[in-house]
Amino acid sequence: MSILQAWRQAATSSVGPIRGSYTAFDRGLTTKSTSNSPKELSDIAAPAQPTRDVMVADVISGAPSQLRHRAVRVYQPTRNTMQCGQAKGDRWRIDFDILQGGGRWENPLMGWASSADYMQGTRMSFRSKEDAIHFAEKQGWDYYVQQSTVKRIPPKNYAENYLYRPGTLRIMKTK
Amino acid sequence: MLRIVSTVSRPSSTGRLGKVVGSQHSRRTFASTSAKQADITLTVDGKEVTVPQGSALIQACEAAGATIPRFCYHERLAIAGNCRMCLVEVERSPKPVASCAMPAMPGSKVWTNTPLVHEAREGVMEFLLANHPLDCPVCDQAGECDLQDQAMRYGSDRTRFHEITGKRAVENKDLGPLVKTSMNRCIQCTRCVRFANEVAGVEELGTTGRGNDLQIGMYVEKTMDSELSGNVVDLCPVGALTSKPYAFQARPWELKNTESIDVMDALGSNIRVDSRGVQVMRIQPRTNDDVNEEWISDKTRFAYDGLRFQRLTTPLVKEGDRFVSASWEDALAAIAKGLTASGAQGDEIQAISGHLADTEAMVALKDLVNRLGSDNLALDQVGGTAPPVHGVDVRSNYLFNSTIPGVEEADAILLIGTNPRHEAAVLNSRIRKSWLHTGLEVGLIGERIDTTYGYDYLGGDANALSEFMTGKSEFAKKFKAAKKPLIIVGSAVAEHPDAAATYNALSRYVELNKSTLVTPEWNGFSILQRVASRPAAYEIGFVPSKKASTTKPKFVYLLNADEVDPKSIPQDAFVVYQGHHGDLGAQLADVCLPAAAYTEKSTTWVNTEGRSQLGRSAVPPPGASREDWKIIRALSEVVGSPLPYEDVLEIRDRMWEISPTLVRYDVTEPTSAEVALAGLKALSVRTTGAKISGAIFQKPITNFYQTDPISRASVTMAQCTRSFVKGENYGFSDIGKAPEAAFA
Repeated sequence: MSILQAWRQAATSSVGPIRGSYTAFDRGLTTKSTSNSPKELSDIAAPAQPTRDVMVADVISGAPSQLRHRAVRVYQPTRNTMQCGQAKGDRWRIDFDILQGGGRWENPLMGWASSADYMQGTRMSFRSKEDAIHFAEKQGWDYYVQQSTVKRIPPKNYAENYLYRPGTLRIMKTK
Repeated sequence: MLRIVSTVSRPSSTGRLGKVVGSQHSRRTFASTSAKQADITLTVDGKEVTVPQGSALIQACEAAGATIPRFCYHERLAIAGNCRMCLVEVERSPKPVASCAMPAMPGSKVWTNTPLVHEAREGVMEFLLANHPLDCPVCDQAGECDLQDQAMRYGSDRTRFHEITGKRAVENKDLGPLVKTSMNRCIQCTRCVRFANEVAGVEELGTTGRGNDLQIGMYVEKTMDSELSGNVVDLCPVGALTSKPYAFQARPWELKNTESIDVMDALGSNIRVDSRGVQVMRIQPRTNDDVNEEWISDKTRFAYDGLRFQRLTTPLVKEGDRFVSASWEDALAAIAKGLTASGAQGDEIQAISGHLADTEAMVALKDLVNRLGSDNLALDQVGGTAPPVHGVDVRSNYLFNSTIPGVEEADAILLIGTNPRHEAAVLNSRIRKSWLHTGLEVGLIGERIDTTYGYDYLGGDANALSEFMTGKSEFAKKFKAAKKPLIIVGSAVAEHPDAAATYNALSRYVELNKSTLVTPEWNGFSILQRVASRPAAYEIGFVPSKKASTTKPKFVYLLNADEVDPKSIPQDAFVVYQGHHGDLGAQLADVCLPAAAYTEKSTTWVNTEGRSQLGRSAVPPPGASREDWKIIRALSEVVGSPLPYEDVLEIRDRMWEISPTLVRYDVTEPTSAEVALAGLKALSVRTTGAKISGAIFQKPITNFYQTDPISRASVTMAQCTRSFVKGENYGFSDIGKAPEAAFA
């Protein structure tokens, strides 16, 4: 058994759930169910989604304490507009703001970028926002969640090209 | 909105408290009406999916989670149906059907992953590759090429075409200094043509010939003169249209992506800054349907090379008539000394905030200047040293109240003293979209401009507005009858001699027609700001008091102010410039403080709707330059009145105190109809009796490509100015000297 597991067992048995309050950060995000079916009322005692224990990992992770002073951003990267593929679009990411001054500089020897920031190349992907938030809480990082944008694409149809519009002609199609 | 029926909705995560306390009545949502759109249900790959009636089959497939390869179909363009890559199998259909051109039919069964489909797509790909050059290693699109990716799955590793003549050869076209063409690579998806027709309004870009001989071009030797032309680079699924300034500079996998906010205009377009090492290599749009959809203007996209030139990297102190570089301590001490030596007291200390000043810095500077006993906070614009005519007490008097997506709902638009094409190019594309697809009528008061839509010209000055208000003209009648009329007032109107009279007339008109113009659902009185920092400046009240505006300053602090009239600064005043470029402002200064540009700091930007968005630093600021608000914080310490915030969270707390909207990111907070009307009432009372001088409303931007220190330092923007504004010959085409491409 690793130290981590041993610590986790001790933590869960003695401390219990440290914080289950990350729903506060979800204000206005998660669509709270508004229907009041009897099935829902019956499970008042047991929350549908078990609140996860926030195991504080930074105690034993060996990460320098300065890392705790840096806020991370939890966000969903948008699709690259150069391509139409949607893959990896539903992932959530954590990354660090660059360090002012110490982030990167041009190395006078080779002209490459040097850095004093050990987190500048780190970028983590998570399956869901909750996972990312959970991870940040575990590491003791301050985080903020950037909402993903809502896509509004109207129904499209081919017949639109040949639709009659009254009035003067407003477009000349050169396709 | 597309949604999948088969997925079980997730159990709610409402805690115990919500369940017990929430009674049946308090659980109602705000939107009590259910969506009453006619939906149809069909089966895609065995999954039931419900989509709105009239959707294309490809949308239904996407909603079901199936990935459909495509080249010509694009969500924001009309459907062409000419690449045939999106073939799917539909039950009882004898052939595979192109899912983009096929409407989704209720009850139909669709398969997207069968051998028939694969074979069909492989056939299509074989024909596409028959004439596509094998130059991926030297192609800029490689690594983010749709054809490359899809050929990995559907392409064959050898060809069956052995033409003696070889592959099709097509002459390259000269589209100007921004878009590089390599027409051999073109697969004729016509996305660029459709974009030019529908969105950019360049109706010259088109196709000639048929079949294998089809070519994309401008018909005559002419560059693509549009401020949205860079978007065709994104749209092109292959490497036929690529970015000229970015050519052979970097590969997509080397780049670090940072999602940020643009500051070249007041729209706050969402951008992605791609950087390598310490350099910004390119800027890409980020889709956000509330702001910029998927487009950005050419200035946003290509002005980034201005970030490399003319930068201030160390603090500079003027000794005699030369600048001498100094340490931060010395520079700040020199400012403190200059402040005492100038003898500036109270309102004689003036701060001027310029176009690219971020919100944090303006808050810090205002706090500092106020602590020094001054209220002399000027803006870097014509008449910026006087309080603005619309005031800053009511938000709706200076913001774009209808919101940017709201422009598409309007059925009549009156533009006053503005050229949206240059002041907010992406917004202009929305007006064009609406003008094409609905019966939108546009009227214009002000200098004649070349929009991408037709308009009724009502006149050039404030008298034309009075005439419009009498309601006699054809357009005025249409405007009166419109259900959602929209008045877009340019930011230059407030700088005009007739500003008071115009605002007075407008506020009276809006009050008279409040039943359509200002209702709880719709606010049709919108001010279009053109400068990224201006809405935030008004939000935090960065405007002078009446008394302060008449004071002659002895100490001037220029925060990114590069448009100031040098004559407006008194000769004996001590001038400090804080900014990132050695532009006009730095020349006037006694001390220059190097600050970070917008790609180098994480700061708040408020767009013309009042939507605050958080930019992000992509690269470190060069040399000794620092983030703006930190410089002001350090200076406050040296001049002996330290500001009460130490880190960025504390300064955002201070911003929250000033206005909570400044830290509520990514949302617009509408002003209620009552408050908006009260604001207009106060405005009309304040401006009663203003006389009309009859001066024409000039357009404020004469050269779209060079409006701020970054774009003025940019080589690409200088080339654009030569090519599109001055109409000089650019590149290898010798014709096209004619001045018809000269308007801008």
